[in-house]
Amino acid sequence: MDRLRTWIAAAALMLPAAAIGAEYRLYVDGLACPFCAYGIEKQLGKLDGVEDVHVEVGNGLVRVVTRGDRELRETDVREAVERAGFTLDRFDPVKAGS
Amino acid sequence: MKRRAGNVAAGFALLVVASAVAAAPITFNTALPVGEGEFIGRHQVIVRERTVPGGEVHVRALGNALGYGVSGRLAVFGVLPVIDRELEAGDATRHAHGFGDLTLFGRYTAWRRDERGRTLRLAPFAGVTAPTGADDESDALGRLPRPIQTGSGVWSGFGGVVITRQTLDWQADAQIAYRASGTDEGYQAGDELRFDASLQYRVWPRSLARADAFGYAVLETGWAREGRDTVGGASTATGGVRVTVSPGVQWVGRRWVIEGIVQIPVVQNLRSTAAEDDYIASAGVRYSF
Repeated sequence: MDRLRTWIAAAALMLPAAAIGAEYRLYVDGLACPFCAYGIEKQLGKLDGVEDVHVEVGNGLVRVVTRGDRELRETDVREAVERAGFTLDRFDPVKAGS
Repeated sequence: MKRRAGNVAAGFALLVVASAVAAAPITFNTALPVGEGEFIGRHQVIVRERTVPGGEVHVRALGNALGYGVSGRLAVFGVLPVIDRELEAGDATRHAHGFGDLTLFGRYTAWRRDERGRTLRLAPFAGVTAPTGADDESDALGRLPRPIQTGSGVWSGFGGVVITRQTLDWQADAQIAYRASGTDEGYQAGDELRFDASLQYRVWPRSLARADAFGYAVLETGWAREGRDTVGGASTATGGVRVTVSPGVQWVGRRWVIEGIVQIPVVQNLRSTAAEDDYIASAGVRYSF
C-alpha cells in the first residue's frame, strides 16, 4: 500500500511537469487594434502543439506557450502571422519545453 | 418616376459593403486584413429619409454582410440587405418590402508596410451587384416606381482602391470607387464616381496597458457624382453631386465591433427629379468567427 501511495505521489508530481511547454515571445508588426489581435490568436492557435496565445496590442508582443515538449519553428510561426495579414519582426524562444 | 433606383441600392451596398475589420470606416471599405480562413459577419440597421418631388421616401433596412479570408491578402465578401421602403405622396402611401440586390466583391491587399503598432496598406477591390431584389412589385395604383422597389433591376459592376493608415492612436482611410450599371427594360442607372475619407481617433482607453477594447470617435466624409439615368436612351433629370459629413462612434473588442454613424448631407447639387437625402443613420455590429 505504501508503494502504491509512493507511485501515485510520484505520478502527481510528474503531471504538472509534463504539461509545461516551451514559451516564445513574438514581436508582430502592423498590429494596431484589438480586433486584429484575434486573427493572430486564431492563426497561431492552429499550429500543432500550441496551448496558449496572448496578444498585447499596445506593444505588438505575442506570448505563445506550447504543450509538453512541443516546440515551434520560426518559419511556421512567420507563415501563421502572414496568414493573419501581419508581419513577424522577432521570434524569441524564452523557455524550452520539458 | 425612374429616379436613381440603382444608386439607391448602391447606397445601401456601400454602407454595408463597408469595412470588414478593425477600427475601420463605417460607411465604406478598408484595406485591413481578414485572416486566412477567418469569417467576418456584419449586420447594420439603416434608417434613410429622402425627399422626392411631391413626396417623401422612408427607408428601413437591415444590411447583412459576410466576409471570408482566402489568404492574408485576399478577402471575398457578400452583401444582402433586407429593405422596407415607403413612399408618401399626398394622400397615397406605397410600400415595398423584401430582399435587396446581392453584392459580391473581392479585395486584395496589394501593398503593405508594417511597423510596430502601425501599418500602411493599399487594396484594390472590385465586384458586381446582381438584381436579386424585386423590381416589379405593384399595388392597387399599379407598378411601384423604381425608387420604391427593393431591387434595382439592373446588374452593375464597381471597382476602386482603398488606402489605410492605422496606428495605435488613430486610423485614416481613403477610398475612390466607380460604379457602372447595365440596362433593364430600357432603363439604365447613371454611373457613379465617389470618394470617401474616414478618420477614427482612439478616445478610450488613455493607457494601452492590457487594453482589450478601444473606443473611437469617427468622422467621415463622402463625395459622390452621380450620372443621369437614361430611359429608352434619353437622359433624365437625375443625378448630381452629393457631399456628406458623418460623425460616428465605434467600440472595438477582440471579436466584436459595435458602431453607429449619421450621414448628414452638406451639399446636394442635384438635377430636378433626383431624390434628396435628409439623413442616413446606421448602427450595427461586426464579429469574427
